Amino acid sequence: MLERSLMQTHGFRNIETHGTTTGFQLRVRLPSYRGMRLSLIDGVDVTVDGELFGHERNRLSLGGRTYSLAELREATDARWPLEEAAVVIVDKQGGLTPGVHEVELAVRLRQPYIPIEFQPSVISETRHATIVF
Amino acid sequence: MNKPFNYGVSLYSFTDDFGTVLTLDDAASHIADLGATGIEILGEAHIPGYPNPRSAWVDHWHGLLERNKLEATNYGCWLDTRLTVSRRMTAKEGAADLDRDLRLAARLGFKFVRPKIGVVSFDLVPDPIWEEAVERVLDLAHDLGIVICPEIHAPTPIRHPVVDSYINFIQRTGTRNFGLLLDTGIFQDRPLPHWPGETPEMRRDFLNGIKVDPDDILAVIDYVVFIQAKFHSITTRLEDENIPWERVVPALKRAGYGGYLSSEYEGARDPWRSLEQVRRQHALIRKLERDYDASAPVQ
Repeated sequence: MLERSLMQTHGFRNIETHGTTTGFQLRVRLPSYRGMRLSLIDGVDVTVDGELFGHERNRLSLGGRTYSLAELREATDARWPLEEAAVVIVDKQGGLTPGVHEVELAVRLRQPYIPIEFQPSVISETRHATIVF
Repeated sequence: MNKPFNYGVSLYSFTDDFGTVLTLDDAASHIADLGATGIEILGEAHIPGYPNPRSAWVDHWHGLLERNKLEATNYGCWLDTRLTVSRRMTAKEGAADLDRDLRLAARLGFKFVRPKIGVVSFDLVPDPIWEEAVERVLDLAHDLGIVICPEIHAPTPIRHPVVDSYINFIQRTGTRNFGLLLDTGIFQDRPLPHWPGETPEMRRDFLNGIKVDPDDILAVIDYVVFIQAKFHSITTRLEDENIPWERVVPALKRAGYGGYLSSEYEGARDPWRSLEQVRRQHALIRKLERDYDASAPVQ
């Protein structure tokens, strides 16, 4: 089963490409009572120790595919199931230093049955999480 | 005529517990332990691999119903009419989504399908595509033995143009496969507590309760096919802090309602709190039903 917190403990790590650390990734469960088509997901803001990584630039990986925000917004057939965590991929040269970080996530959802004046719904949660190496 | 209620629970009640501290098997066992007979689900929430569950899961579902002596009641789905940032869903696309959900609901044994329809205004007028989308699948619903039932949900009261439009649709088409689902949140007459982080400025008026008169049920009862028994908090003395069940239950009885009351707990999400809250609600409503029956004239 998934962890209760939005950000999952499991999977928080730096991303290495060809021997260089280019960013970090973390797993998040869908903060909703339902699964949603990806076109209703409007990205995830990530803030680590006060440094904001905006939803416009972060990518989301689900079902073996990685989506930019523009791709998410048009993905009407792919879905984020409630029972699956998505991987948020954040670019940051050098990655995060090993140790404990304060991580805030803000997941942005577009819910068509709520008046547009109140959209998107932004669900945020902050926790401490640890980069092992 | 006084008919007994049927008692059920929606898995919506267990939001945040489901999939973190509660499995589907746990949930079904808790519902059976209440002496309830109905289980309600949300398709795109409680069916792994939605909309194409593996056949092994479908078999497991049917086994689960049989073991726990439960019947599948209502299946929730969505008409996500604001399909993308830049365009709305067409009626044809809406019908295709309904078609898919009706077939999946029938495969799992459900008798009711509630589409939650996207809105186009501040006062929750549903996207007008609903009418054509639903009309396109009415024959299918008939063949599958399913009643499609949009919900009457706060802040929309019973006496409202949206409800009139649903009733007009039933009268125009003559269908028996479309009806109203009442959400008892419309009867809420005391404010909800503020959610974590909610400031007075953020409060939306309807969260203070739209206080629909329970006797308004009588005007639409012929069209009501299912009831979601929405509630938020019941004390250790079995007092509901928001919903006036002592007026809602007698009104439903006088109206002759004999369908499901399907619990929808929507309160604080501390782990497992929902399980105890649902038990209290069933104890409370069953007591009110017994009290009514004891004092009502013999039919």
